[in-house]
Amino acid sequence: MSANGVDLRVFADYDRDVTESVDVAVVGSGPGGAVVAKELCDAGLRVALIEEGPPFTPAEYRVDGGISMARTMREGGLRATVGTVMPTMQAICLGGGSLVNSAICNRAPDFVLENWSERFALKHTRAEDLAPHYDAVGSYLGICETPENVLGRRNLLFRDGCRALGIESEPISRNVRGCRGSGECFTGCRSRAKQSMDITYVPDALRGGATVLTSARVEVVRTSGRRATGVAGHIVAPFSGKPSHRFRVDARAVVLAAGCMATPVLLARSGDLANRSGQVGRNLQFHPGVAAMGIFEERVDPQFGATQGYQSKHFLRDGFKLETLWAPPAVLAVRMPGSGHALKQRLAEVPFAAIWDAIGSCNRSVGRVVVRRGSLDPRLEWRLHPEDTPILAHALFTLAEIYFAAGAKTVLPGVHGIPEELHSLDEARILKTHPIRPGDLVLGGNHAFCTTRMHGDPAQGVVDELGRCHDFDNLYIADSGVFPQCPSVNPMWTVMALARRTAQALASAH
Amino acid sequence: MWIWIVAALVGYALVRVFAGYPAAAQPAQALRRRELALVAAVSDALFPPGGAVPESGREADVAGYVDRLVAASQPRQRVLMRALFFLFEHATVIFPAPGGPGGLRRFSSLDTEQREAVLERWRTSRLFPRRLAFTSLRALCTLGYFASPSVLRTLRLAPFAIDTPVCEADLWYPPIGASRASVRRSRADLTPPASGVPLALDAPLAPGYAEPRR
Repeated sequence: MSANGVDLRVFADYDRDVTESVDVAVVGSGPGGAVVAKELCDAGLRVALIEEGPPFTPAEYRVDGGISMARTMREGGLRATVGTVMPTMQAICLGGGSLVNSAICNRAPDFVLENWSERFALKHTRAEDLAPHYDAVGSYLGICETPENVLGRRNLLFRDGCRALGIESEPISRNVRGCRGSGECFTGCRSRAKQSMDITYVPDALRGGATVLTSARVEVVRTSGRRATGVAGHIVAPFSGKPSHRFRVDARAVVLAAGCMATPVLLARSGDLANRSGQVGRNLQFHPGVAAMGIFEERVDPQFGATQGYQSKHFLRDGFKLETLWAPPAVLAVRMPGSGHALKQRLAEVPFAAIWDAIGSCNRSVGRVVVRRGSLDPRLEWRLHPEDTPILAHALFTLAEIYFAAGAKTVLPGVHGIPEELHSLDEARILKTHPIRPGDLVLGGNHAFCTTRMHGDPAQGVVDELGRCHDFDNLYIADSGVFPQCPSVNPMWTVMALARRTAQALASAH
Repeated sequence: MWIWIVAALVGYALVRVFAGYPAAAQPAQALRRRELALVAAVSDALFPPGGAVPESGREADVAGYVDRLVAASQPRQRVLMRALFFLFEHATVIFPAPGGPGGLRRFSSLDTEQREAVLERWRTSRLFPRRLAFTSLRALCTLGYFASPSVLRTLRLAPFAIDTPVCEADLWYPPIGASRASVRRSRADLTPPASGVPLALDAPLAPGYAEPRR
């Protein structure tokens, strides 16, 4: 126990090799690991929460998009899939992705959970089974709809366009208290309004007696027969990842919540653990995203307003969800067409622009996570299935419809091979008629799933419904890798609900 | 005799291709002279002086920003970015820029029209890898252009000044790289949480983004 009565270790304070002995070692402090750690502490267990990244305070945030990504994201924010090239970002900081996401909280739709139950032999993962866990997390984090006074015109135009077309839409529910509409969710909330894990679940775990090791990179899960006995690795310098001291945590149980990319790599590097089914690292799915920009006659001032404040789940069964978007201007400008003075003219239109995006439920587009030789970073092999491409084209056309219904004068769809500017709905119909190939789209894929999927049949999945590895008595997984398929909506709340259930199961079993 | 002539020609070609870059105005953190020259040339082609946003890529110090970004990146990403710079700088030595024999020079030695033409060729290529390479390079330069407070002020996109509440975690988390003992805050420093009061569009800008006093 150190100063201020909590046991938090940071890089500068490690002066020798570290050895700890606890009841449960939790790897990863994002929405999965943080929830597990807090719940286990509440249950009276001695917990070590192990995070590779450092803690960030608002003084460490950088509003500049590029520098922020280089500091908070794995591989400096330049991670991408091969096959169909698509950037994908995973955070490396205390609190994980919750520090730099837009705090969107959606429950997995009933039809998705029904499908999971039927197709993956899951008897206790229906909406009514998860409801108590969703409710508990929602109450703890204050999840509620984005208030109208911080939506800003960018979000309200989306609402208006949807209303004009009779498309269902709603303010996005978020884990935010006291939002001021700064639009800075992706670079860290300087208003401290976002209830990210580093200021909610992690502090509660610390108060509950957890040891939190930051800048500690787990490199191996130690096992003996069917039991995990702990984890080991190196203390690493923030940003550079340069290793210094060794650490080892002995534990009666281990929970891996390192994320859909890192957990399968860790299992593979630990001796192909938990892989009797052959499913570790396989089935990689994303919600590939596309975005379009609409230019309006009057100023939109898009920098003001909740980063992602409005959404439409009207088309979930058609395979996509629509939402508003804001990001550091530099990141958005990357999508703009042209160069030279034409590009500058475009940039000058940003204050008149709204950016909206769609995420696709592309269950046919499946890939895998492969261990990269000599590195803990994964190689991500993934291809957008040709039959999934029309889903995204349909989504882009729908966005164009909403833009024009909201009064946009121009829509920039950002698709290679079709006009850079669309001036009417008639012109936008080319999105439905032109044969669009995966390489024509500017994709982004920040929700990733299924690389350690749960399945009732041990021969077809890595973990059971409670997150316990089929091949082990005391090794659990609590991140989005356990999803059997993409959930069609933003996954954070579901990750936390499943993690809470896993923690309760673990606490009662040990 | 012929060997010496060929060697001299090869040497001359190598000097034309790889040497003769101007010294950087300020010491670079990560980039070499030729890489700085390439980024500056690309940024000026992407963001020429004047027009809807007056500041040019060079005035916005895009090269300096990319240098800092590369320095902040991890080794593998640095290698990839360097390979990208090399590709663009020297591709025109093999595939000349439009405009005749004068186009057979490294990118940073081309004139402005030729640079713009070359970039447009990358941007509109039918080959996905070429478009991807262009998008990657333009993304780096765009990040640098938008890092300029002046550009952001012109577009009214500069970040607002925000009073950051102090929460309990701030009593525990030190600056990155510092010891926990360096945290000087106590419970007396805690402040009320975020107010929920919307920021005004004419609110003061964040430090570093406000108009400098003349």
